[in-house]
Amino acid sequence: MRMTPAHVRWLLLLVLLVLWEALPRAGVVPTLFLPTLSGSLLALWQDKAEYFANLLVTLNEVLIALIFACGGGVLLGLVIGASGVMRRLMLPLASSLFAVPLVVLYPLFTAWFGIGSESKIVFASVYGLLPTLLGTAAGVQTIDHHLVTVAASMGANRRQQILRVYVPATIPTVLAALRIGGALVIVGVVVAEMLTSSAGIGFLISRYRTLLDSENVFAAILLVLFLAIAFDAIVQFVERRTAGWQRSGQGTGDGASFA
Amino acid sequence: MPAATDGTVAVSSLSHTYGAESGEGTLALQDIDFSVAKGRFVSIVGPSGCGKSSLLMMLAGLRHPTSGEILCGGAPVKKPDPERIGVVFQEASLFPWLSARKNVEFPLSLRGVPQKVRTEKALHALELVGLKDFAERLPHELSGGMKQRVSIARGLVQDPQILMMDEPFAALDEQTRFSMGDELLRIWDETHKTILFVTHSLSEALYLSDEVLVMSARPGRIIDRIEVDLPRPRTFEVMSSPRFVELRERIWQQIRH
Ligand SMILES: Nc1ncnc2c1ncn2[C@@H]1O[C@H](COP(=O)(O)OP(=O)(O)OP(=O)(O)O)[C@@H](O)[C@H]1O
Ligand SMILES: [Mg+2]
Repeated sequence: MRMTPAHVRWLLLLVLLVLWEALPRAGVVPTLFLPTLSGSLLALWQDKAEYFANLLVTLNEVLIALIFACGGGVLLGLVIGASGVMRRLMLPLASSLFAVPLVVLYPLFTAWFGIGSESKIVFASVYGLLPTLLGTAAGVQTIDHHLVTVAASMGANRRQQILRVYVPATIPTVLAALRIGGALVIVGVVVAEMLTSSAGIGFLISRYRTLLDSENVFAAILLVLFLAIAFDAIVQFVERRTAGWQRSGQGTGDGASFA
Repeated sequence: MPAATDGTVAVSSLSHTYGAESGEGTLALQDIDFSVAKGRFVSIVGPSGCGKSSLLMMLAGLRHPTSGEILCGGAPVKKPDPERIGVVFQEASLFPWLSARKNVEFPLSLRGVPQKVRTEKALHALELVGLKDFAERLPHELSGGMKQRVSIARGLVQDPQILMMDEPFAALDEQTRFSMGDELLRIWDETHKTILFVTHSLSEALYLSDEVLVMSARPGRIIDRIEVDLPRPRTFEVMSSPRFVELRERIWQQIRH
């Protein structure tokens, strides 16, 4: 049987997992730096109630921030991308904001919104909104206007042109933007939790780190990885269902993921 | 309103300048005057860039001429009216996210035709252009010529009184080209539509049309109107008849310089 890229990816993952278990076990790496995979999974299992409670906190923050970041990003991106004036005014601003490491502003967010979930949600929303906005605006700009003319010739009114041409034509770029924006939302929430908080997976990571409890640090990291991969898989699933027509020039057409 | 439902086209002193607003523009069309009686098959030939596509866009109400008047079925053309005028565009103009069938159904769905009827009509139109087996393919899975044929099917399914076609067969090989031409003539014969047909092929224009309008290089003007008095139904042999060769020579002389 030939090895497809998917096989190679799975194989690589397997090798990595085996190494994770074998290296610390063989004493090549101190378990303080890298505990064994089984040890971390065991830690996860033993404290499952605590992990579950904190996962819910993080998940809640991520979901709310996703709504703000993705909803707001797509909406603003559509508006800005569709209007020449807005594009010239706002796009340079959004691009330069995107280049700023927003995380240095996080202390401000805690001052304004406290150390509870609110500050995480606001921070992660802003963090994920910018790439979503930029990607969506770029997508709107690259629409083939000839297709709008074609629809008009068939009697499409303005509303039909938007719903039946602009929207489907921008879906692929919007989804690609959502993928990046959503990943940044997760990063934003977890990083914010690690900095200052009293609950959430990020909080667990930094607490166990100060306790030098590596197994639990890695257990929490596994959860974050799981969260990120699950989100990506969902977006890819939607992408495959709605944007398959865009993959024409992209060779095999299977996305670069494990999903 | 019988006037608005017949298929006549009348264009009077139409001129168009691109970029007229910004001072110096490109004069694309100049003093175009012609009329087409209902049910006629009229071809437009002329050098590349002479404004043929622009003219069709204006006839279809998709672009407003700088000056002049266009009447279709006696009523002025202000905006697209697909029941009056259907367009088959020059470039591939299929929606890439829709299958061939869904593309053909598109104009019908805009009109609120029920799904069942829509599918039936679309499949029938795809059958006419020989693509029934490709109904569920996406455009990127079709060849250039196949895409163009889907586009033709989409023009036909709209069932307009006037069908405007902008080099519809350009992407096809010679053989398919003429069999599609025969198919178009058959549909024309059955439906009595008025057809305005832009082409680069003089043989094709003469083979299909009642009348050929010859345009000059930019700025586009109509420099000749040729009544094609070859008997119908036309067969492949007609193309070697002396009259055909003579008409072809006449057009060729005018557009070669
Ligand atoms: N949107 C536009 N803006 C400015 N100029 C245009 C535009 N569309 C066409 N033109 C110009 O108008 C002229 C006529 O173009 P048009 O596309 O109508 O030619 P055509 O006869 O259809 O050519 P072809 O046979 O190559 O398709 C060309 O010189 C072209 O550069
Ligand atoms: Mg053209």
